[in-house]
Amino acid sequence: MATPGTPIVTTLTRVASDGAIRAGRGLSGLMGQEITIHVPSVRLGTKADACDAVGGPETLVLGAYLSLAGDITGHVMLLFPVQRALDCVDLMCGQEKGTTTEPDELAFSAVGELGNIVGSAFVNALADETNLILHPSPPSVVSDMAIALVESVYAEVLSQGGDVVMIDTVFEDSSGRTAGLLIVAPDPSCLDRLRELAA
Amino acid sequence: MTAPAADIRRVAVGIGQLAVSKSPRDVLVAYGLGSCVGVSMFDPGAGVAGLVHVLLPGSDGKPQDAKEPARFADYGLDLLVKSLVDAGGLKRRFVVKVAGGAAVLGPANAEKFKIGERNAEAIKERLKLHGLTPAARDIGGTKGRTLELHVATGRTYVRTAASPANEL
Repeated sequence: MATPGTPIVTTLTRVASDGAIRAGRGLSGLMGQEITIHVPSVRLGTKADACDAVGGPETLVLGAYLSLAGDITGHVMLLFPVQRALDCVDLMCGQEKGTTTEPDELAFSAVGELGNIVGSAFVNALADETNLILHPSPPSVVSDMAIALVESVYAEVLSQGGDVVMIDTVFEDSSGRTAGLLIVAPDPSCLDRLRELAA
Repeated sequence: MTAPAADIRRVAVGIGQLAVSKSPRDVLVAYGLGSCVGVSMFDPGAGVAGLVHVLLPGSDGKPQDAKEPARFADYGLDLLVKSLVDAGGLKRRFVVKVAGGAAVLGPANAEKFKIGERNAEAIKERLKLHGLTPAARDIGGTKGRTLELHVATGRTYVRTAASPANEL
């Protein structure tokens, strides 16, 4: 079982940092303001506070889920507290803030695009750092209680057996509010490949 | 009798965990069940109640996880039944309710591992093995659910992000 401080965690943290910077840059452009990126936390298994950044387990979030194919497979999910997602939608559509008041079709489409841009930025950085070929799938827009989404990704990964490694990156805006939570989880069958890269 | 609102103690039942209580103050809650399944059991005779938060279908011989003893449907249900019996419950009186097993990650992913569906099936089979039939079920679909069990009354409620609590 991998533990914090093991080569795979160290390497993934380094690789993820670059991914997070690029993803944050993408988000910053879309949100029209500076975005601070916390150093990604690479965790093994679940963590009770995994959803705290977006307001707690039962908080309604809007986000995008992408599966990862290519040299390694896995999961990428970008989550926003709903109000934050709606603000983003207004910004992306050139509308006055507050125009979009509930997640409608346009909001879903915009959030899918956000997931595409931010998720792909992270995945591309990962591919560059590791020399792996990675293809993110088209995004599925998800809207649910935060913990329901996070635990479902955990279940997908865990169901394949082996270690579960989840990479969390929290984005914050200039006032310190959470601007988004990005979760990346490679499938266990790919961890050996990542371990080789870490060696 | 239900305890006054101020005295209520909400006990969160996390992933792969279970809780058993005889205290009328307690409300056992499994927050945001996505593909996971929550199973509640209540023995009205003994006033004992339990809730389990199952993450995956059958263990297929995999060992029980120390941190998530109820990770798999078989271990989880066996443990819940045993804990209730140990606390004075009588299996034939158990009122069983099941909620969860949704596909929350979108239609493309839903077809991949079908974890929610397989969880629900594994729970059904394991309950059958124990001679238990659910009195109510709210499973499948595409939305996460929170399941809560009020120990004082044995009543269970399910809510989603879009709908308030409905009695199950």
